[in-house]
Amino acid sequence: MKKNYLLITALLMWSLAPFLWQVYTSFSTPEALINPLLKVGNRWTLENYIQVINSEPPFWRYLINSTIVGINATLITLILAIPSAYAINKVKNKIAQSLKVLLLLASLFPYVLLFLSLLEIARKFNLGNSLITLSIPYAALSLPLAILLLSSAFKDLPKDLEEAAIIEGIGMFQRIRWILIPLIAPATASTGIIVFLFTWNEYPIALTWISNIDLITLPVAIARIAGSSVYSIPYGAFAAATVLGAIPLMLIVLLFQKQIISGLTQGAIKG
Amino acid sequence: MIYALLILPALVLIFIVFGFPIIRYFWLSIHASSVLTGLTATPNYGANWIRLLNDDRFWLDTIQTIRFTMCSVLIEIVLAIVFALILNQNFRGRGLVRSLSILPWALPTTIMALGWRWIFNTPYGPIERIVSIFSTNSINILSNPNIAWIATVFADIWKTTPFITLIILAGLQTIPTDLYEAFKLESGDKLKSFFNITLPLLQPYLIISIIFRLAQAFGVFDLIQVLTLGGPAGSTESIGLYAYLNAMRFLDFGYSATIIFFSFILLSLFCILAWLLINKIRDKYQRNML
Repeated sequence: MKKNYLLITALLMWSLAPFLWQVYTSFSTPEALINPLLKVGNRWTLENYIQVINSEPPFWRYLINSTIVGINATLITLILAIPSAYAINKVKNKIAQSLKVLLLLASLFPYVLLFLSLLEIARKFNLGNSLITLSIPYAALSLPLAILLLSSAFKDLPKDLEEAAIIEGIGMFQRIRWILIPLIAPATASTGIIVFLFTWNEYPIALTWISNIDLITLPVAIARIAGSSVYSIPYGAFAAATVLGAIPLMLIVLLFQKQIISGLTQGAIKG
Repeated sequence: MIYALLILPALVLIFIVFGFPIIRYFWLSIHASSVLTGLTATPNYGANWIRLLNDDRFWLDTIQTIRFTMCSVLIEIVLAIVFALILNQNFRGRGLVRSLSILPWALPTTIMALGWRWIFNTPYGPIERIVSIFSTNSINILSNPNIAWIATVFADIWKTTPFITLIILAGLQTIPTDLYEAFKLESGDKLKSFFNITLPLLQPYLIISIIFRLAQAFGVFDLIQVLTLGGPAGSTESIGLYAYLNAMRFLDFGYSATIIFFSFILLSLFCILAWLLINKIRDKYQRNML
């Protein structure tokens, strides 16, 4: 039993140590970072956070941008994925199977390689520099996995439920809206959270679509901060930025742990 | 009919994002489209492809990307199996430990890449400080071409292991415990039961994780761009980063598309090869069992 706890502690250390190091750094004065054994008064500071929060544009702007894109993309994904996931179980088995294989291949694809073509589309149709239009490629990239997750949820529902509703004379859209959607709510929640996490973290497409500094998302802002000062490196401020950027995600993970885990594992099992 | 209409909007969007680019890349790869042509495509009869074949930087990046992918995926699969076995045990606070262990996966890559840059910093990062206790030579992690790539692999393993851990954990939970009990009665060897029960039954989960991670690691971009910018001396540059630089810095869309199209072919071959290899190992393994 003792050995067991040792292993668990090791695992937690591995997962958290790099992050805790950032937290430690973010509260340290530059002198303390250079000389960690410093014992005098100016060991700890909030200066790094003040610097990050007072930057121009303010740091919370990036958090808001990311949230806007994330919510938009999640809504678009779910609106398109739910009807498709319902329908994919209704078409002929052969077609459904080949569609599912294609969706699986798409969700395995390293989407980074798609950036150039998406950039061309953005240029051609003037879709750059808008948080709303950025949600469209995000939704498109998330759709394959979302459809797979939701279609397995629809498939697991008892068949006679819908049949009873058909006998009652309830139309298809009514059935989907009032009977089926409430029943797949748990799967919808996990799908939604996974899509939200993906969009929140996405980098290459946000980098190429958005050039207006007031509209950039959090990952791009962080990379920009990293690239802006290659020569003088204010690591205290960097660390404060990474901690502030990580807090929303930590909250999401702690609050929606169950949904995230079930979403990820469902994707692997049913896919 | 109505069902087709329900699927269609999603399928069209998926095609525009996943299907169309591949056709478009091939088409662009046989055209010149750069600052010189004002980014309008004009046929250049395979000049991009000839350039690609003679581009030493591209081939070096290819080898580096394969090195990164192989090391990262192999190590994280082993690590993830260990983590999953730990997390599958019964202990108090298991839920909390599980959610804390997926944090590395949930944080944006760029955020932690910036964090790793500080951890690998010379001379103030914790690793250099520990090394300096034992030796007077500094190892210059991020400025030594022989070491920097290991740092990128390390950061990638840290970030993506939780994802595979969860998938393998889900696999472990599908194995009925009485299988282990029956095995215990026969031989009682824990290690043997791992190789005879756990590993064979985890196989579908391992296959999906390996294929998924191979594809994702092959496209590595964010991590390298923030952690090393491809340096030092190009020693960590990946195909993805090179394609990005060609498009965004050198404004040569035609050549960038050629790189991407070629890496797409390479990746497909890579995945098919991995698939065949896994099947072969499985056949051999099963024959040994019988």
